[in-house]
Amino acid sequence: MLHVITIRSPIARGSVRSIEFPSMPSGYRAILPGDIPGRNRIAAFAADIPILAREMVRYVGEPVALIAGPDPIVLESLAEMVKVDCEEEEPAFEWQSFSSSRVVAKRVATAGDPDLAFSITPAVHEETYRSGAMDYSYSEPQGAAAAYDYDKIAIWCATQWPYQVRDSVAQALGCRAEEVSVRPTRLGVHLDGKLWYPSLLACHAAIAAVACGRPAKLMLTRQEDFLYSTKGAQCAVSMRAALGPGNDLLAMDVHIALNVGAYAPLAEEMLSQAVLASTGAYRCPNLRVEGYAVSTNAPPLGAFGGLGAAHALFAIESHANRLASASGEDPADWKARNIAKKGSALMTGEVLREEPPYAQILERLAKASDYRRKHACYELVRKRRSGKSDGPLRGIGLAFAFQAAGQFMSGEKSGTYSVEVGLDKDLKVLIKTSAAAGGSGVLDVWRQTASAALGVPAENVRVAPADTDDSPNSGPITLSRGVTVVNRLVENACAAIQKRRFRDPLPLSARSAYRVPKPITWEDGRVRGSLFDAAAWAGAAVELEIDPWTLEPRPLGLWLCVDGGLIVSPERASSAMRSGCADALGACLSRRLDPGSGKASEYFRHGLPSLAEIPPIAVDFLKPIRKSPAKGIGELPFDTVPAAFLTAISQAAGARFSSLPVPSEDIVRALESA
Amino acid sequence: MRTSDVHYPRDLASALDLLRKRPGALVMAGGTEILREQGGRGISLPPEVVCVHELPELRKAGLTERFLEIGAAATLSEILELGESALPPILAEALSLVANPAIRNLATIGGNIACRARFMDAWPALACLDAIAELRDAGGSTWMNVNRLAGEDRRPAFPEGALVTRFRIPLERWDAYALKKIGPKDYPDPETAVFAFAARVEKGILSEMRLAFAGETAFRSNAAEARMIGLGVPLSEREREAAGEAFRADAAFLPEAQALRFGSLVDAALDLLGR
Amino acid sequence: MTVSFILNGDDVSAKVRSADRLSDLLRDQFGLLGVHSDCRCGRCGRCIVFLNGRLVPSCLVPAFKARAREIVTIEGFSQTQEYRDIADGFRESGMKTCGFCDGPKAMAAAALLERKPRPVAGEILEYMSIVPCRCTDPEALVRAVQAAAESKARRLYRRADK
Repeated sequence: MLHVITIRSPIARGSVRSIEFPSMPSGYRAILPGDIPGRNRIAAFAADIPILAREMVRYVGEPVALIAGPDPIVLESLAEMVKVDCEEEEPAFEWQSFSSSRVVAKRVATAGDPDLAFSITPAVHEETYRSGAMDYSYSEPQGAAAAYDYDKIAIWCATQWPYQVRDSVAQALGCRAEEVSVRPTRLGVHLDGKLWYPSLLACHAAIAAVACGRPAKLMLTRQEDFLYSTKGAQCAVSMRAALGPGNDLLAMDVHIALNVGAYAPLAEEMLSQAVLASTGAYRCPNLRVEGYAVSTNAPPLGAFGGLGAAHALFAIESHANRLASASGEDPADWKARNIAKKGSALMTGEVLREEPPYAQILERLAKASDYRRKHACYELVRKRRSGKSDGPLRGIGLAFAFQAAGQFMSGEKSGTYSVEVGLDKDLKVLIKTSAAAGGSGVLDVWRQTASAALGVPAENVRVAPADTDDSPNSGPITLSRGVTVVNRLVENACAAIQKRRFRDPLPLSARSAYRVPKPITWEDGRVRGSLFDAAAWAGAAVELEIDPWTLEPRPLGLWLCVDGGLIVSPERASSAMRSGCADALGACLSRRLDPGSGKASEYFRHGLPSLAEIPPIAVDFLKPIRKSPAKGIGELPFDTVPAAFLTAISQAAGARFSSLPVPSEDIVRALESA
Repeated sequence: MRTSDVHYPRDLASALDLLRKRPGALVMAGGTEILREQGGRGISLPPEVVCVHELPELRKAGLTERFLEIGAAATLSEILELGESALPPILAEALSLVANPAIRNLATIGGNIACRARFMDAWPALACLDAIAELRDAGGSTWMNVNRLAGEDRRPAFPEGALVTRFRIPLERWDAYALKKIGPKDYPDPETAVFAFAARVEKGILSEMRLAFAGETAFRSNAAEARMIGLGVPLSEREREAAGEAFRADAAFLPEAQALRFGSLVDAALDLLGR
Repeated sequence: MTVSFILNGDDVSAKVRSADRLSDLLRDQFGLLGVHSDCRCGRCGRCIVFLNGRLVPSCLVPAFKARAREIVTIEGFSQTQEYRDIADGFRESGMKTCGFCDGPKAMAAAALLERKPRPVAGEILEYMSIVPCRCTDPEALVRAVQAAAESKARRLYRRADK
């Protein structure tokens, strides 16, 4: 087996003039774009990404060549000696002010007459909320391996979408898709970072294997992964809001800038999600939202715990909390009054068919966290405080969010996703789906579903390891599809078997298919497609204290209440929500990335926060209403916790923070200027 | 890929001899400081490496009524295991905040103090305790107060060509102390720093007070400390404010963000004496 | 250089370069893939081994330092009764993990229980930060380690199963 190392662009923007390799010992060779048998491109959603950039490079670290050989340490020394000679152009890193040439996607939504509304209201509240630029900190290192297996080329990698890998590799090798066999390896926590990037690694391993005629394995060091692979996008949401006479939301003017880095495969989806979530679930009769996805010379920046709604929800919830406090009202009450009711038409023109369960969620959350009393108490302390030592530095914040269902991405080719279920003579069930690559959590859900539908014990239900030779294409595994789309397909396939079961002898198998709907499209500022049908809802409360010595925030408690519809496995779901909350809270405490800075030592400055910093987390699920389907809930911690945290730390410090993490020196300044 | 010659001297005398003969050689004990910023597949070491982690002279520990002596190659875990009765609490606190227990099983106290890139977590506590370090080279041995390992430029000034062999830590009674770590805790980040404070009160009078703070640069102000000695405890608000200003003034060299945080730590420490 | 040491109870010997990490030595020359090669800076805990009885990140140990040491990896550790206590406890508590951090988590739990047979939540979370992972549900982890402690105590003191 040969190891493979990537040779990368040293510049953020420009062209490659030449690549000079040192003399290679026997058994070591370089692999260049010319060695790619098929197309030197992968189709990653809406973007066309070079496998090995030949002329133009668009981010520091972009792959331009590979070297392969038997010893990885020798390879590493050789890689250090490679000279990539480039003609450098001025890179574009600025994304909050930009020229139209860098706009990759634009979305506008309007309602009523915001200009008029702003002109007649005295109090306008403005703020820009910044979020994002997160590292995925995957459970496992990234890489891929490729080898001939008789007449096929076998690929091993961890991926959210095995069929994407298969099609990319087939295209790169110029062979038929059936000649590529993708055998997904175990996938840890992915937070949506592995929707397409593994296809790039798989292509690298595949072309190396083909060029060298030997099995090839490419593993990124964590440092390389940190510096050069895809990261969570950066977002700035500028909000201007006007309150009407009853302190209700009268008008909003929102400007969203999303840094999507180079190539921007998911830009449209992310921007759409961000714009659509920018007013939360509040009624806003006069509205203008303008969103821009801006490309820069950072590595491709994409989804992180959801496609983009989290950025907007962070902004609207934080701003709503601030609007309420500015008029001396408890945000919980303000939100209760301003939330859209059943029958309201939202920004998209969609009419809400169900009442958002805000009241029930708030009631349980407030009870569990003692929010009302604490909020009032901490507000009092905040208002009276004149210095650091005047009372405890505590705060509590609430945030409310939804996770929209039925989102599809424009890069999903039209076609069908399917699942196959088989029931054998011994009443053992086998589920086949490419989504099995997604990890053990959701497998239990399918096993329960099949067990219930076919009346067999759950221990008798097995999910076949995902393998593109055998498992049908069930689409990309994002945080919600496993529980919703794929679960429904399992259910339907089982139902089909049940129908035939007492007529036809075992073994029986059935395939259930689902035509990929058109993605939510945007026409004339109106959206086609429903966002809120079967949306999941949640509220979070975060209480924290600022340590009087270090002035660092110390979370004291986190409460999450979720309306996730039918929860197939409550214990499993609670645990998943708690670990999601721990991740989301960790993100509030960790420093952000500077994507594209490419400074090698930055890698060492970013790590997961210590578990000791995570406070007790209480998760509560609302009882589902009858016939409620299972809903995707995985994104909800990221949609709620940051805004709740920002509000809590602002209250504790008596300041108005607008991004996370809050540097302790800013807390000092806020307290000293009180 | 560089190849290094690795030497395992059997005793201190051979180690010192090796270091004399090979002036650029890297001294390696736990190796955590050397390797923590090498994220590549292979590790890169200087051409000559001298391993000292097994030298018997560097692994002894001793306890008398007046001081605790620890060998420089003692790991942080081993030192913590000496326990409450032997280890001054301010030092125990400092060591227990380093990274995580697995790294503490490798990292040595000598390595912590000999770091030239920045001050590591043990320095402020040892400085506060007025610990002394035995430094040896071909010429002989000297005992140096740990405070003198910070240079005029406030950066680490560990002498070239010297090997730290043991530490002697005075065991004194302290009536108030605090040890706080700011910035990222699991990694020696540029923003990471440790604050150490200890005070002694005799017959209602502040008889001794020490305050040290270090990250990439180190702070210790004998002048500001001396001004506090003799004041009656509890300190008045005016006295605390004046002291806070004095310490801040002497710490003006710190980068602004860190200076602000240092100020808060000083205020909180002085508050301890105000009750 | 040649280094001789004890590995999972066996006397072994290996040729190493000064550029080799102990983690890669164990994986590449001894096939011990339970020692992961991951962050390479001592922070992820996926490479931890027992070195003379102490848990250390083997990526921070040059291979040449294995000389005359006793090393136990997860492969060796998983043959012990201590491991079974931990594995039983983890399983009984129902803790789910991503699958990459299990072995290291078991070793960290074992090292903690050696020092603190009845650790409280704060001690567990602090100690288990040796192996940080996004998959971790802190509450489930605390329960799992406490269940492991219980399992170990039951065996040591031959208490009747609950």
